[in-house]
Amino acid sequence: MASEGGTATRSSDSDSQGGYEGWVQSSIQNPDRAYRAAFYVVMIFFLVTTLFPLYWLFILAVTPNNMISNMGLLPKGFNPGAFVEVFTTLPFHWYMFNSFILALITTVIVLILASLAGYVFGRFDFKGRGALMLLILAISYFPPAAFLLPLFRLFTGNIEILGLSSPMLYNTPGALFLPFSALSLPLAIFILTTFYAQIPDGLEDAARVEGTTRLGALFRVIVPLSAPGVATAAVLTFIWVYNEFFFSFLMVDGQAKNWAPIVWGILGYQGQYSASYNLMAAAGLIGVLPIAILVVIAQEKIVSGLTAGALKE
Amino acid sequence: MSTEQSTEQTRSRGGSGAFSGATRWVENLNDTQFAYLLLTPTLLLLGVISIWPLLSTFIMSFQADSIRGAAQIGEFVGLENYIGVLSGAYNTVVLPQPFFDLSSPFTSALIVTFIFVVISVSFETLIGFGQALVLDQDFRGRRWVRVAIILPWAIPLVIQGLIFYLLFQPGISFLPDMLYNLFGGLGWSQTPLVSSSNALLIVILADIWKTSAFMALLILAGLQSVDRSLYDVAKVAGASKWQSFKLITFPLVLPTVLVAMLFRTIQAARVYGLIETMASCTTVPSLSCLVVSTFSVRRYGTAAAIAFITAAIIAVIVSVYIIKFRDEGGV
Repeated sequence: MASEGGTATRSSDSDSQGGYEGWVQSSIQNPDRAYRAAFYVVMIFFLVTTLFPLYWLFILAVTPNNMISNMGLLPKGFNPGAFVEVFTTLPFHWYMFNSFILALITTVIVLILASLAGYVFGRFDFKGRGALMLLILAISYFPPAAFLLPLFRLFTGNIEILGLSSPMLYNTPGALFLPFSALSLPLAIFILTTFYAQIPDGLEDAARVEGTTRLGALFRVIVPLSAPGVATAAVLTFIWVYNEFFFSFLMVDGQAKNWAPIVWGILGYQGQYSASYNLMAAAGLIGVLPIAILVVIAQEKIVSGLTAGALKE
Repeated sequence: MSTEQSTEQTRSRGGSGAFSGATRWVENLNDTQFAYLLLTPTLLLLGVISIWPLLSTFIMSFQADSIRGAAQIGEFVGLENYIGVLSGAYNTVVLPQPFFDLSSPFTSALIVTFIFVVISVSFETLIGFGQALVLDQDFRGRRWVRVAIILPWAIPLVIQGLIFYLLFQPGISFLPDMLYNLFGGLGWSQTPLVSSSNALLIVILADIWKTSAFMALLILAGLQSVDRSLYDVAKVAGASKWQSFKLITFPLVLPTVLVAMLFRTIQAARVYGLIETMASCTTVPSLSCLVVSTFSVRRYGTAAAIAFITAAIIAVIVSVYIIKFRDEGGV
């Protein structure tokens, strides 16, 4: 057996030796086989555990609501109508649209600011650099609740600056994308800092010698060269905003017309329609869909972006 | 020579008026001035939306609560809020759940948060590492397996909470009955989401489901940056797979793992939304829960003090990580 080598072993193990003993025998002689088998077992385990909760939503969503009790692993009945009802019971599409727009605005702001900051932190050695980076990191230590009261007063027009009261931003996108931007900015800055730091000085010098201005060198040489990093930061920021709970929950009153994001769409079903488990589940699945598509499209980018960022350390 | 000329030309072609004036001004700044110029928008945003609120909250933490009346906050009381929270004097009087009380570990905020952080971060690191090792292999359909394993990380927190609420709600799911039959003898409740100890475990499980994927993503990035030729060398030298993992993969990826753990610990210590959407802050009171629940009854001074205590605890953890692992590099 052993002398026959790998491929022959695979085809002949079941008939010549048979069963478990044969498999063990050939595994000992050919450890790669055992590794391969263990690998597939582990992979399937991970797939089942990560996908089961989503499958659970599917089971509940397609089961007619009056049939939902002690659900097992299969749906009882089939009622795809829940996926339509989700949009008529509450304006769920508007909640999703709001989340989408808020995530886009935040991503644009964060990319512009983090590009500038990452460039500075990655390529300049200046007085106060370490202290500023530490300050930006330290902001992420605080629970979001630590920002809440002052921000809430600021956004409801209760703070006076030079005799002018602050603008009334509560129930507008501003009350959401401003805190989103400020809180997701540090991560984007750290990602882009590592990227910008990796670009050889020579390229920037060459551009400067050719007569480009400093800002020209940044936007014509440095940013294009760090495109993978910028893409990674963009995707991470977008997903972060779509995921956000705290300010999405507290900075709007929950109505779709007042820019309430998807958090309120789901909570609407969990609170107001708490007996409609099928709608809850269907809303959950629909809410996952856009972000799942983004992961499918961008996963290669995210991993390669993070990999390139990690290379430097 | 020619370079110099073209430089001159471009500069002068830069045009006239305000734009070229601004450009020349920027060109003539020294490095530090230029750096701060580019940082201005970032510092402005962070200043107004993060730093000013933090300072303002910090000042509030030294003021008395003002539950009634027009003023939102009372007079200056020094460290009273901090002492009240830390000494336990506020436990039953001011706080809905104790800050630290050994006699009721599953309802005291510090212990609940500590259990949550330790268990969830260790499992997430182990599982994430396992998932990353699987995703680092070459096999058919890897793209889709990768999508499936990373997906939970991208799922909105409120939907994650919804899923686990629906999984552990008696009457809807088979799980509560099954778990009760198996572990009822060990004190597992028939309604796990309203039992503090059970609900804490379920919240941890939900967190592991979602965040292992995030760890896997970061660790996978670390694995992919390991130089592949090292494995060829190991193979030629006759190393087994286990040896090449132990001697090449693990040490090279360790700094990434530590950074990922650090980020994760900071996040986990602030857990709030997951608890609120699945169970409730009265069942599983974390530190952030305590901040929000005191905040919502207008105890702003106390809420501010707890927020700063939480941040201080996180700062201590971060310093321990950095000091302990500085030699490993990366952090």
